[in-house]
Amino acid sequence: MVRFLSRAGYFVRETWINVRRNLTLTVAAILTVAVGVMLVGLGLMARYASANALGRWQGGVQFEIFLEPNIAGGQIDALGEELRNHPDVERIQYITQEQAFAVLEEMLVDEPELLGEVSIESLPSSYRVVPRFAEGELIESLAAQFRQRPGVYSVETGRQQVDAIREWFNSFRWIVLLMSIVLAAASALLIFNMIRVAMFARRREIEVMKLVGATNSFIRLPFILEGMLHGLAGGIVGAVAAGVLRNHVEELFGRSEILAFFRSFTVTSSQFNTATIATVAMGVIVGALGSAFAAGRFLDV
Amino acid sequence: MIRLDNVTKIYKGETRAVDGVSLDIKKGEFVFLVGESGSGKSTMLRLVTAEESATEGRVHVAGKDLTRISSWRVPYLRRNIGSVFQDFKLLPQKTVYENVGFALEVIGRPKNIVTTQVPAILDLVGLSHKQKSFPDELSGGEQQRVSIARAFVNRPLILLADEPTGNLDPNTAQEIMRLLDRINRTGTTVVMATHDQRIVDQMRRRVIALHAGQVVRDEQQGVYE
Repeated sequence: MVRFLSRAGYFVRETWINVRRNLTLTVAAILTVAVGVMLVGLGLMARYASANALGRWQGGVQFEIFLEPNIAGGQIDALGEELRNHPDVERIQYITQEQAFAVLEEMLVDEPELLGEVSIESLPSSYRVVPRFAEGELIESLAAQFRQRPGVYSVETGRQQVDAIREWFNSFRWIVLLMSIVLAAASALLIFNMIRVAMFARRREIEVMKLVGATNSFIRLPFILEGMLHGLAGGIVGAVAAGVLRNHVEELFGRSEILAFFRSFTVTSSQFNTATIATVAMGVIVGALGSAFAAGRFLDV
Repeated sequence: MIRLDNVTKIYKGETRAVDGVSLDIKKGEFVFLVGESGSGKSTMLRLVTAEESATEGRVHVAGKDLTRISSWRVPYLRRNIGSVFQDFKLLPQKTVYENVGFALEVIGRPKNIVTTQVPAILDLVGLSHKQKSFPDELSGGEQQRVSIARAFVNRPLILLADEPTGNLDPNTAQEIMRLLDRINRTGTTVVMATHDQRIVDQMRRRVIALHAGQVVRDEQQGVYE
């Protein structure tokens, strides 16, 4: 350790010289790393956000029993009674045809001509049912019990929607993952090339070092540190960019009525920290891989 | 100190640069390797530093069998060998002091060793007053003295010199020879490949003559031809 510390000055100095020598290439490499790891960070945060949102929906999910428009009042009450007394049901809410129309009115506020086609009588009234438990499978089986009852038009669970959203997020995640892999590979290659250039620029020194008996690891270390430094810089820039974007998007979701649906897409601060650390670490790993590969390849004894 | 047993080096499957050479150089000897260009002098030096490996035969240096040495040990072997070249191989952006200190620094010697050894060796080669100069501010002879200082600063057992006087005028060459002689007298084995007839004839040391990769003459206190 003491020996290493006595050499630390050498490594710091050599690494710094390399970084300064290739400023444009350095900036290019850092930015590529930054964009790549930013995507990794965003992908990770999106994954957390979707898991959080889906978890919340699944936890509090309701299902809705839509009734035939011409159902008799007695049937409505009987069904309500049965639901209230069902051991698996937490609570229920009856939505009248007028209330259903009001909801529709709100949704179609910009398209009054569409609303004109709909009459209150043609809309189904419904029971919103909140089950006692949150597992999708059990909700599904509970909902199925009511599907065939007389007067029941249809039963809609949130499950289909949740599944659709999950699917959408999965494909989004794959796209992000693919893009970040491509960009990570591009950044590793850029760093690889940069280290190759740096080693070529310093070939005389490397020749002398080999001549006087410097070990390969000693010769390589400044170059690998240089690559890691670029990775670190790119990682930090990428993490900051991802953080800024996250705040922006959350603010957008929070403000917009249309995107109200996305409000539950939030990331907790510990998840944000994890994503940030992973983003920076990813940068350092990419830098280390690219430079270690170059240093190993262009240093023949 | 250096022993070659029936060593052959074939480049790219055809050129026999060194062809069945056996020789033994003892500790503290001063040996001239002579012969025209392409006779195998440089290849022989490169076999000793493990920059090349023998196609056939065995090379022993400082008690190590280089045909069996693992590649990670090669740097440690080279710490026992100083090398001097016709073109000096100094680093132009480093001062005289830094060029010499670099050789100690990159093998991980502590700073206090560097700060004591470098001035001592620069004093030995007579360049104490030029330690802040850059190589391009020095004459050829001075540059070669810096490169000798760099090769010797770690007190190696062996000093290999490949045409060290090749770029120098006769008087400067004399100075360099005096320096190499002085280093040899400290017990360091010196092997010098050269074309310089005058120097070889004047020094009267062991001469190994090569022709087409083979030893054609090996004399104590020999002459160039």
